[in-house]
Amino acid sequence: MLVIGENINASNRSVAKALARRDRPFLQDLARAQAVAGADFIDVNAGMEKGSCEQQMATMEWLVEVVQAATDKPLAIDSDIPGVIEAALHKYRGERLIINSVTAEPEKLDSIGSLTAGRKAWLVALAMGNNGMPKDIEERLAACELIMTHLTRLGVKAEQIFFDPLLFPIAVDTSQGLVTLKTIDQIKSRYPEARTVLGLSNISYGLPNRRLVNRAFLLMAAYAGLDAVILNPLDAKMMSFIKVADMLTGKGTPRGYIRAHRKGILVD
Amino acid sequence: MAEDMISLIRENVIQGRVTQDDEGFDEGKVGQPGVSELTEKALAQGINPEDIIKRGFSEAMVVVGQKFEIEEYFLPDMLASAEAVGAAMEILEPHLVKSGIKPKGKIIVATVKGDLHDIGKNIVSILLRGAGYTVEDLGNNITPQAIVDAVAKERPQFLGLSALLTSTRIRMRETIELLTESGVRDKVKVIIGGAPISEEFAQSIGADGYGADGFEAVRVMEALSTNVEG
Repeated sequence: MLVIGENINASNRSVAKALARRDRPFLQDLARAQAVAGADFIDVNAGMEKGSCEQQMATMEWLVEVVQAATDKPLAIDSDIPGVIEAALHKYRGERLIINSVTAEPEKLDSIGSLTAGRKAWLVALAMGNNGMPKDIEERLAACELIMTHLTRLGVKAEQIFFDPLLFPIAVDTSQGLVTLKTIDQIKSRYPEARTVLGLSNISYGLPNRRLVNRAFLLMAAYAGLDAVILNPLDAKMMSFIKVADMLTGKGTPRGYIRAHRKGILVD
Repeated sequence: MAEDMISLIRENVIQGRVTQDDEGFDEGKVGQPGVSELTEKALAQGINPEDIIKRGFSEAMVVVGQKFEIEEYFLPDMLASAEAVGAAMEILEPHLVKSGIKPKGKIIVATVKGDLHDIGKNIVSILLRGAGYTVEDLGNNITPQAIVDAVAKERPQFLGLSALLTSTRIRMRETIELLTESGVRDKVKVIIGGAPISEEFAQSIGADGYGADGFEAVRVMEALSTNVEG
């Protein structure tokens, strides 16, 4: 399972402050810590604080430069504004990257899809259109179909697409855990070349012991066929569960699991 | 007798039990009458609906809010209590009309244009219904014009706007400006909320109030109502 480290996100108050005062060491430490903890990609979200589009682009450009000076890990450019994504791509020196994200809205698919085509980029596509959060599986699959048709027409390959089936708090609606799991399963069987990704921590919103809930859901999602996950890699138990899940689903091997054990990164 | 009934209602709102089949915050509650059954019974005994609301529901929800604040209660506990009140309010409604008691007021809620997040708005809606307000939910991704049209048509006392993104909260300002242009700004109190919202932001765009969570939204609305009446 591919791990996208979520910690550098402007919705995180300490990160927002660091961005505002251009605190290089703080953000670089956060990037390095996630890389050491085993993140495959480092997500960078520069927020959409007040100010013009130019200011947002400038903040994103600065952030991309700062993070890639700290780690060799590829980045996940976290924005839904084409101009901001373009600004990030302009500064990005790496080859592989993730663009996070696009929804099933034609204009956005056009602009962000064109940025993805012809690059060594993966694109996270949320299974929702402009009617808001879809409540059932069918609505999500309809959004995926629209995305797939639209993007392949633009020259984006199916294997570049990471569908996010969306995950809502189980505290609010107890049907939503299974809805997400079944959607993953359906996406995998309809588009075998495409992949799936989830922002895991949504599931536990409003509950105590959130990490426990997140870990349990990770195992269920791994069984449903989840390929990548956006989470806090500094949760060592979670990272151990990912190693275990990889082995149990045959994505990883027992020997890979043992290597992780020898490195001392498995936490019981 | 009436006292016992009202305290039983209060207790079951705090437990978050709509019917006798529901579990509560504590174990072993299934099978005992829930808020719906107790409300029916109270009406049959001739207890004043206003008493049920004020001393049964409202006092209980204050306790629920306190328990939520100190993290004894979590989101599902709070939602269960609000749902219990919401269901019981439906039972009471025809009786309120008959006895000439005015409902607390109407609020239109919406998540603004460009923003598809509706979980926060839905939670607040449940709490407002639980506090006795009539809630009309326009949904999410709603344009300023559609919101202003609804306000002009429905004439609610309150308008609640939600946004989860810093990029979409600007639509709140546009909505308030359009309310002014359309000449209905002074007819409605605007309260706003969402992750990127602060008291400071609310003031800067000329909103009447800001709620950090659903309970605060209710408190702000009660305070604004008192001001209106006084």
